[in-house]
Amino acid sequence: MGIPPLNRRQVLAGLGGAAVAGSLGFATLGTGADALASGADVRVRYWNLFSGGDGANMIAMLDAFRAEHPGIAVKDSTLQWGNPFYTKLAMAAAGDRAPELGVMHLGRVAGFSPGRLLDPWDEALLAKYGVRKADYNPVLWNRGVIDGKLYALPLDIHVQLCFYRKDVLKKADLLGDDGRMIQVTSTDQWFDVLKKARKVQKKGLQTIGLWTNDQNFQWWFFVAFYTQLGGQWFNDDTPANTEVLFDADKATQVLEFFRQHVTDGYVIPGAPTGEQFINGAPFTWEGNWSVPVFSGAKLDYGATPLPPVFGKPATHAESHSFVLPHQANRGGATNEAAHQLAAYIVQHAQQWAAGGHIPAYTPTLSTAAYKKLTPQNEYASAMDHQATEPKVWFAGSTGVLAQDLGPMVVSSTMGSAKPASVAQRMKKELAKLLASKNPMDGTTAAQGGAVA
Amino acid sequence: MTTTSAETVIAPVRAKAAASGATVRRKQGFQHGGWFIAPFLLLFGMFVIWPLVRGIYLSFTDANISGDGASFIGLDNYREALGDQAMWDALGHSAYFTLLVVPCITVLAFLLAMLAHHIERAKWLWRLCFFAPFLLPSTVAANMWQWLLTQGIGLFNETFGLTTPWLTDKSYAMTAIVIETLWWTVGFSFILYLAALQGIPAHLYEAAKLDGANAWQRMVHITLPMLRHITGLVFALQALASLQLFDQAVAMMDFGPGPELSTRAFVQYTLEQGFTSYRVGYASAMSIIFFVIIAAVALGRMVLLRNREEGGR
Amino acid sequence: MTTATTTTPALKTPKTLKTLKTRKARRPWTPSQIVLTLLGVAVSAVFVAPIAAAVLTSLKSETEAAEIPPHWLPKVWTVQAWKALWETGNVSNWFVNSLVVSVLVTAIVLSVAALAGYGFARTEFRGKGVLMGVVMAGLMVSPAVLGVPLFTTVQQMGMVDTYWGMILPQCAPAAMVYILYKFFQGIPKELEEAAFIDGAGRWRVFFTIILPLSRPSLAAVGIFTFISSWNNFLWPYMVTNNPDLMTMPNGIATVMNSYGIQWAQLMAGGLMAGLPLIIVFVFFQRQIVAGVAHTGLAGQ
Repeated sequence: MGIPPLNRRQVLAGLGGAAVAGSLGFATLGTGADALASGADVRVRYWNLFSGGDGANMIAMLDAFRAEHPGIAVKDSTLQWGNPFYTKLAMAAAGDRAPELGVMHLGRVAGFSPGRLLDPWDEALLAKYGVRKADYNPVLWNRGVIDGKLYALPLDIHVQLCFYRKDVLKKADLLGDDGRMIQVTSTDQWFDVLKKARKVQKKGLQTIGLWTNDQNFQWWFFVAFYTQLGGQWFNDDTPANTEVLFDADKATQVLEFFRQHVTDGYVIPGAPTGEQFINGAPFTWEGNWSVPVFSGAKLDYGATPLPPVFGKPATHAESHSFVLPHQANRGGATNEAAHQLAAYIVQHAQQWAAGGHIPAYTPTLSTAAYKKLTPQNEYASAMDHQATEPKVWFAGSTGVLAQDLGPMVVSSTMGSAKPASVAQRMKKELAKLLASKNPMDGTTAAQGGAVA
Repeated sequence: MTTTSAETVIAPVRAKAAASGATVRRKQGFQHGGWFIAPFLLLFGMFVIWPLVRGIYLSFTDANISGDGASFIGLDNYREALGDQAMWDALGHSAYFTLLVVPCITVLAFLLAMLAHHIERAKWLWRLCFFAPFLLPSTVAANMWQWLLTQGIGLFNETFGLTTPWLTDKSYAMTAIVIETLWWTVGFSFILYLAALQGIPAHLYEAAKLDGANAWQRMVHITLPMLRHITGLVFALQALASLQLFDQAVAMMDFGPGPELSTRAFVQYTLEQGFTSYRVGYASAMSIIFFVIIAAVALGRMVLLRNREEGGR
Repeated sequence: MTTATTTTPALKTPKTLKTLKTRKARRPWTPSQIVLTLLGVAVSAVFVAPIAAAVLTSLKSETEAAEIPPHWLPKVWTVQAWKALWETGNVSNWFVNSLVVSVLVTAIVLSVAALAGYGFARTEFRGKGVLMGVVMAGLMVSPAVLGVPLFTTVQQMGMVDTYWGMILPQCAPAAMVYILYKFFQGIPKELEEAAFIDGAGRWRVFFTIILPLSRPSLAAVGIFTFISSWNNFLWPYMVTNNPDLMTMPNGIATVMNSYGIQWAQLMAGGLMAGLPLIIVFVFFQRQIVAGVAHTGLAGQ
């Protein structure tokens, strides 16, 4: 009696004091809980944007590396894909808190201020660990070279695909003798295929997943079909990138094609596409990174490049590549370990191919094991028909170009704007972008920007 | 809350201190004033005043995120901002959100408080249920609703037999964020109303009862007038918070700008300019514009308050 | 202007509770009480439903969580999501980080704001009025308003991706200074004067007389600060790039574990971030409600 309140107060005060003291100690050490637990000599922090099946494969490759190199602690961190990833990487590099190794889309490298936010690779060091320029497709390798220095080491090429469920298409008699989807070469044929598939599919689901409200996917699909029509972006004769060659008529054709999927009721706008496909929707257009997801769900499915409905085959392609985010004191053992890790993963990309991507390291491509992978062997031809964004500082995955034009494509597909007027707006925006300056170095695309 | 109102509060204190003429206290006590305030001023200067000053400076430059090579470009950023349709759209989204949320939250919070105040049993339970969402981190609350509202796999549409594309259609996306916000933050205003209700002296009601006023009359003539102050407060706090919409909008839209940019709030657009396009100078100019807007709203409320108080006297 | 010193009714503690309890036993179920209570139950169900859905989803397998059409109750109850969360995620790190940041922010804010509030309320120095005005203007500055310049400032100080970079910018809350300032003004001066006559100095008076008297106010400020710091997303999101250093709200929102958006795991992670405060709330409901009401009402 009389004692309890005082006592409880003392206990609370004691606990509070201990919590503050403990936190203070922790914050002073300032490295985070995980760093305290790690005892390895060299620590490589590695930031990537791989989730889903890619994430699992990347972790398997990292674990293999860890098992072979116990002296190197690899701390991998996956950030949410898209702008947060690039934002954080840029901010970390600017604040001199960057990790030793990072992943980026190849198309983003030029605008990411190589030399300021990125450090160049030491090609001699890469060669020491077994990766040379000769092992690469020279065009691909050179996309990572800026001002004569290598800033990005490509890991793969990835493309947009048309996934289809064989069980559903079989019922609609849409499979050829080889068990693959029949060839489609015009828009009429394509909608005929959709109509037949719809008749036999499970009710309540959509017929095809088009990511109608996703500005990134819609933009990639646009790039693919616009390229199928032979459309151009900017002039490439010298002086390059001074004139907009965007063809609004061709763009309108593509936008009307997308819109028809919605008006004809093949799409439930906003329905999550992957979940729909797994639950029984006959088609979905996705990146090849969905291969492990669908394989994991034990679906009977195939995947072809986006259908060449405008005649000439072409599908959107990008590349994941390793980069060295800028560190003021880059060098020494951690830097070498970063080179070693990147070289190891590039050479052991067999596992990566299981994730649907085409390995960039050519020796892997010619192995029999790779050629046996399905459905990878069905869409390998997509490599020869890549549709890419123009080579300017504002291009690249989730870059300014996609960020500005993607929503316009969405607005047309969703029906809130007419395709023809959207095409005009796109052209106007391209002209504006061409005249705008790269904030990192103050030059326009025509002045070269950072593009070599 | 301003210089002047602080002054009016302080003045009598000063007068009193002078009048009491306690020289001992004056000498011994009041000389430490600076030291009491110093730690706060240090932090305040570093993280409030300096960023403000720095923001004003940066807004006149073309600084980028890497922090070097900025040059003075005068009013160009402001000129560009005022002509930037995307900025006006983003401001419009924040304002639209505010206009929807503020009245809804005020009414809802009041109704919930009335309910919780008048139920006689298990009072703790109602408080817990209405207030608990407020204790969730913004992103967690947003993820829960994102999950509930996702088409096809979300329980919201399933439960109510709808097929609304809440998160992916521009005509619903902002509504979805408003619903989430109501659920998540109404608890705070609810608590304020509840405290205010409990603070109304019981004898007022008893007197009214004796005069034959029915429940409705008691509410209109006692409860509502007694709550006028708190309503003004809830309104102002909510308006200032809602204009700064960011967390729930980005978390529900996977860090994107929403369907056809329909949920991109002002704060989000500013951060995009700074951290995605690396244009720190331009983003700073927009920050300053936003600061002016926020300050105008806050000052507007104060002027209203003062007028009303003076009118009341 | 009602001041912060108005004691909120919820602060009058055990006595009120006891009287409530005895009264409760006697009150009959009138028709209006029945209607109101039923209404209360219905509204409460609506408020609890999203949290319940999250709990139930976290107890499903990932495939079941993504099934079309969805259903409330798991067909197969499993804790795999919770297990996977501990095994693969950074969640335990984030939990510790959240705790470190919130505890330190609360401690610093309490000390700094109490000192400053007292300084403004009871000491005299030149330029106090102007200073007070500047501080009040600071109420309008937040990371949402001045995010980019604030970030570059912290970047200049070399504090991006550090605990201090997350903590210190949260530690200059003009609002808390104002609340405590109002409270200290309400403490009768006679108490201090007596101590001064006994020869006590300003600091001793502050620590031995003022602080013990202000316990409820300090608790309110502390509770409110802790809640907002634990739940703070925007600033930690801007200033941390290193996932090792992230706090719960930030980590869950930005860093997906390496296996993609998995709804069951996402819900489990969210609950782990949100449930601690809710559980604490169940036990300290009275104090927390008083604290929130107190700090909120102070703005009047």
